[in-house]
Formats: sequence, structure tokens, C-alpha cells
Amino acid sequence: MDLVLQLLFTGIGIGAVYALVALGFVLIFRATNVVNFAQGEFSMVAAFLMVVFAVDLEWPYWLSFLLAIGGMALLGALFNLGVYYPLRHRSYLPVIISTIGASIFLANTTLALYGPQPQVLPPVFETQGILLGPVFLDSQYLLIIAVTAVLVAFQYWFFEHTLIGKKLQATSQDKEMAALLGIPVAGMIMLTFVYSAVLGGIAGILVAPVLFVSIQMGATIALKAFAATIIGGFGDVTGAIIGGLALGIIETFGAAYISVPYKDAFAFIVLVAFLILRPQGLFGERIAEKA
Amino acid sequence: MRTTRRVFLGGAASAAVGAAFPGVIRSACAQGAGATTRIGMVLPVTGPGADAGRFALNGAKIALEAVNKAGGVLGKPLEIVTEDDQTTNPGAVLAFSKLASQSDLVGFLGSIRSTQNHAMAPDILKTGKPVCFGGTDPVLTQMGNPWLFRFRPNDSYSARVIADFGVNTLSKKKWAVIHSTDAFGTSGAKALTEALAKAGATVALDQGYSNQSQDFTPVVLAIRQSGAEVIGSYFTFENDLGIFARQLRQLGVTVPWVGSPSIVNVTALKLAGPSLFGTYGVADYAEESSEAARAFGKAYRAVTKIAPDNQSSWTYDAVTVLAMAINKAGKTDPQAIREALLSIRGHEGAEGTYNFDKNGDGLHGYNVVKNDKGSIVFDKRIDFNQG
Repeated sequence: MDLVLQLLFTGIGIGAVYALVALGFVLIFRATNVVNFAQGEFSMVAAFLMVVFAVDLEWPYWLSFLLAIGGMALLGALFNLGVYYPLRHRSYLPVIISTIGASIFLANTTLALYGPQPQVLPPVFETQGILLGPVFLDSQYLLIIAVTAVLVAFQYWFFEHTLIGKKLQATSQDKEMAALLGIPVAGMIMLTFVYSAVLGGIAGILVAPVLFVSIQMGATIALKAFAATIIGGFGDVTGAIIGGLALGIIETFGAAYISVPYKDAFAFIVLVAFLILRPQGLFGERIAEKA
Repeated sequence: MRTTRRVFLGGAASAAVGAAFPGVIRSACAQGAGATTRIGMVLPVTGPGADAGRFALNGAKIALEAVNKAGGVLGKPLEIVTEDDQTTNPGAVLAFSKLASQSDLVGFLGSIRSTQNHAMAPDILKTGKPVCFGGTDPVLTQMGNPWLFRFRPNDSYSARVIADFGVNTLSKKKWAVIHSTDAFGTSGAKALTEALAKAGATVALDQGYSNQSQDFTPVVLAIRQSGAEVIGSYFTFENDLGIFARQLRQLGVTVPWVGSPSIVNVTALKLAGPSLFGTYGVADYAEESSEAARAFGKAYRAVTKIAPDNQSSWTYDAVTVLAMAINKAGKTDPQAIREALLSIRGHEGAEGTYNFDKNGDGLHGYNVVKNDKGSIVFDKRIDFNQG
């Protein structure tokens, strides 16, 4: 039983990270109908920004966090203007390719500017964790789970109970109709990119003390988050959360009870199974219809 | 000068070719000048091994400077041409092909990753020029490829040293063997299992993991359940080692740990920090192991301001010894260089004393070191047959 509880906690912790990045995928997909393959690189860039501010420059953690998140908001805006906006009237494919190009650009620019050395970002709390009976609760994973819960609640409130949230929803459902109703569609899409970059950034900063800060960290997380999004249903916020958590738990238990080397394969076996048996995912609509 | 259409088009074409194939232009210039003796180097500039690539290049550059200061190779300065292997097997094959296509390159430095050397091996055989490499899979020098020369001791030696130290010095008989599932990790674990059986120990858990893992909880819990008294490991990437070390200690596993050389790499020490305190490692490079190792350490610190490790020491030795062999051969004929390399006896390098055997293995022993609160303390050197 101890083993199951320990695995469950770790699975939920790592799944929460996938869920956060998956939320970014979902938001952009809902607003623009394209998959942003640079979402993982947003996490990586934010983690490196934190290292620069908090470790290299030794600025206070809270200030470094605010600056890193501010940097991500700016990056999200630039990303919208440079990657999405010029191609917005084309079909979804050039935009998707453009996001792949942007992800390569971000990874290599970070490599060129910072160098290849993996970095350590100290955890927020000094204590490593809590021993709850025989189960060790890593403080960083606890923080990740808590922040994910808060962000999901915030997002629900924002989309359902604020005017801007409703405008964003209207934009994602039908851009032309939204424009006719006087909603500034371009501004709403800009806001979506900014928010998803911030979400990806928060995920990167949270996970950095656990996985270390490296150029590859974004790609590693994004691949799983992408799978989580498909399992949950592309375009569905609840699906992204459930999909992310499910993926974290599946791979952790699969590794413990079936095979460690095939840990990553479990995620993709489930992904393929969903694509074949339930392509709309747990909660979403058919990808083919949306795309 | 008046710009005619022919001049303009010629210039534009040259610029286009220059932009697309900088290596070709550089090669052509060097060939034309014939002013240097050139060797190629495959190294990771991008991908998860990029950090190791930086160390490798530092070591090679320090050796290059020393060689040129001492008169160069065949009366000409030595030059190194590099290609990025992207830390992938296809990348390594492509990088080697690019270098091999430059006919004036007289020898090469391969990869520190066994799996990449396996991938390049068929092309190395076809190219027919000496390749100095750092991968430690014993099979690499037993495949009958006459052009492979190893500048680190292979894992049959590291496994014997890990087993000997764990069983006889630490008196631990029940082992957990943790390893990457790539060529390096798999062959290392196999060699360790064999060495443990010979030493009279048992393997309670043999657990592979895939590179770039984000979570080792299942592995750590399996170790805990196995009742192992000691851990022997072959980790390929420092990121994985760091995550494993952190989770191992968090989940309360405190048994001794004797690791392959990555456990004492500079990057691993930085990432894992206190989680690695008290662990042991076998290290092909240990700064206090010999005068030559100390001299390299001094030169490396002077240039980089950080401690050296095996990722830079093997390339330092490879460039030094390859230059020595070409000078000894007196010509750039590949067969003559090969014979000169095989005849090297008693050369004191940063990694140890080089005595090449008929397979192309230059080193035959390891150092045992301990992580003493973050400082790597040399314990002893164990050497086996001298080829």
C-alpha cells in the first residue's frame, strides 16, 4: 500500500506539470485552431530566465519570478506577432510548421546565448518535503499540484465569469461572428498567446528544481503534454487536466509494475489507443472536425 | 573595377556556395595552403550532450596548443576541424561523413558515447583512417575494426573495479545494478554482473532505464524492495544521474553507491550536489592519480577556471597521442599512423599510462575516488594487464 501511495503522489505531481503545459496547448488551439509546438520551449525559456535572475544575478526569488513571467508575457506577444499573425489567413498547416520552426529557434537561441550547461534552480522551500507515514511528499511536487489547482480554478472563473473570458470564448468558437459583434479578435488572440506563454513559463519554473534546467527540458515535457491533450480531448480544459494527471499516473505505475525502460512507451500506447478508439479524447470534439 | 554581369554572377555564386558549404570553402583554402596537418573531431555542440562537448573541445584545444608549441605535426601546425553530432546517432554518422569527405584529414576524434561510435563504425571502416574515441563499451574494440583506438579504459575494467571495491573493500554482497538501456549502460551492466558473479556477490536487482527520464521513483522503490546492500550504476547522462540521486536520498535509500565515471563528472556534481555526498566512483581521470594528471589539471584550470574531468582528459590525451603517432610515423599514411599508435608503450597521459593492445585499447585500469562533501578524493589506482 505504501508503494501504491508513493507512486500515486509522484504520478499526480509529474502529471500536474503535463497538465499545466497541456492547458497552454488547449488555449491556443481553442483560439486559433492550431497546435503550438513551441509550448514546451516556453517552459524552458522561463526556467533559464529564472536561473539568470535568481541564480546568476542573485536577485530575490519573488522578483526573479515576476521578471521571468513578465518576460514570458512579452515572448508570448512577440510569438503571436512573429509566428502566428503573418500566417493567420493561411490554412492551419503553415502555422503549425511555423511553431515548430519557432521551437527550434527558441532552443538554439537559448543554447547560443546561455551555453549548453544544465543549471540548478533552487526550490522555493528549503525543506525537501514531508514524510507522511511511509510516504515522502516532495515539497516541489506539492507546490506544483497546488499551483495547478489554483490556475485551473482561476481559468474556470476567468472564462466563465468575466467579460474578457467570454469574449475569448466567443473568439475561439467563431472568429468572424465575434468580429461582427465588435470583439477585437486580434487582441483576444494576442491575449491568448500571452497567457499560454505565461502558463508554460510557470510550469517550467515549477518543474526546474525537480528536472534541472536544460535546453531539452521543454521538448521532453511538451511531448507528454501533447499526448495528455489528445487523451483529454483537444480544445477541452478539463480534458487537459484529466489527461495530464492520467498520463503521469499511467507512466509511473506502468514503470513500477510492468517495465521501467518502457515508461515513455505507456504514454504513447495510450495515446495511439485513444486516436484509434476515441479520437475526440475523453471530453473533446473530433480532431478531424476541429482541424 | 567595373562590375560586369559575369563578375557579379560569379561573386553571387561564390557567396551562395560559401554560405551553404562553409566546410568546403574552409577545406579548400587549407588544402590550397597546405600549411597545416588537419584532424577531424566529432562532438556534441547541440542536444543533451552539448555540455560534455564543450568539455571535450576544451581538452582537445589545450592539447592542440601544446602540440603546436612543441613544433606541430610533421613540421606544420596541427589543426582540428569539428562537426556537431547533435548527441544523436544519425547526427554522429552525418558529422563523421562530412569530416571523412575531406580527404586531407589524416585522423579523427570520435565520440565519448559508445552508441554513437557503434553507429559510425561502418563508415570508419570504409574511410580507413585512425579514429580515437572515448566510448567504453568493450565490444567496440572487439569488432575487428582496425581503425578504432580507445582513449579511455573499457567497461570490462570499470566493472571489475566497481565489483572489487564494493565486495572486498565495502564488504557488500547483495547488489542493485542500475543502468541506462543504451549501448554504454547495457554493456556496462552486463560486465558488472559478470564481475560480481566472479567476486561471489549476487545481483538482487538489475534495472535499466531509458535516457532522459524525468522520474526515477519506480526505480528507487524497486531498489528499496530488493533489499540490496549496495548500488552499482552505469548512467549515461548527468541529468538522469542527478534526478536519480535526489530521489534516492529523498525516498530514504542510504546504501553505498559505486558508480561509473559519470558519477564524478563536474556537471553531475553540480546538479546532484549533496545527494551524491559519500558516493564512490570509478574514474578514468583523477587529478591526484599521477604527475601527468596533475599537469593536465593545472593546464585545464588555467584555461577554464573549473575542475577538469574525464570528458576533457580523454580528448587531451587523444590529440596528444595522435600527434605523437603521426610524428613517429613520419607521414600521413593511415596504415603507418595505425602502426605507430599500436606501438605506443608507457606514454604517461592525463588518464593513465598508455599501452595499446592489439585491439586498440590504450588504457587498462581505473582509479577509485570518493565524493567527500563535493570534493573528489583519490583513493587508489587499479591497473590490469598492460596489453
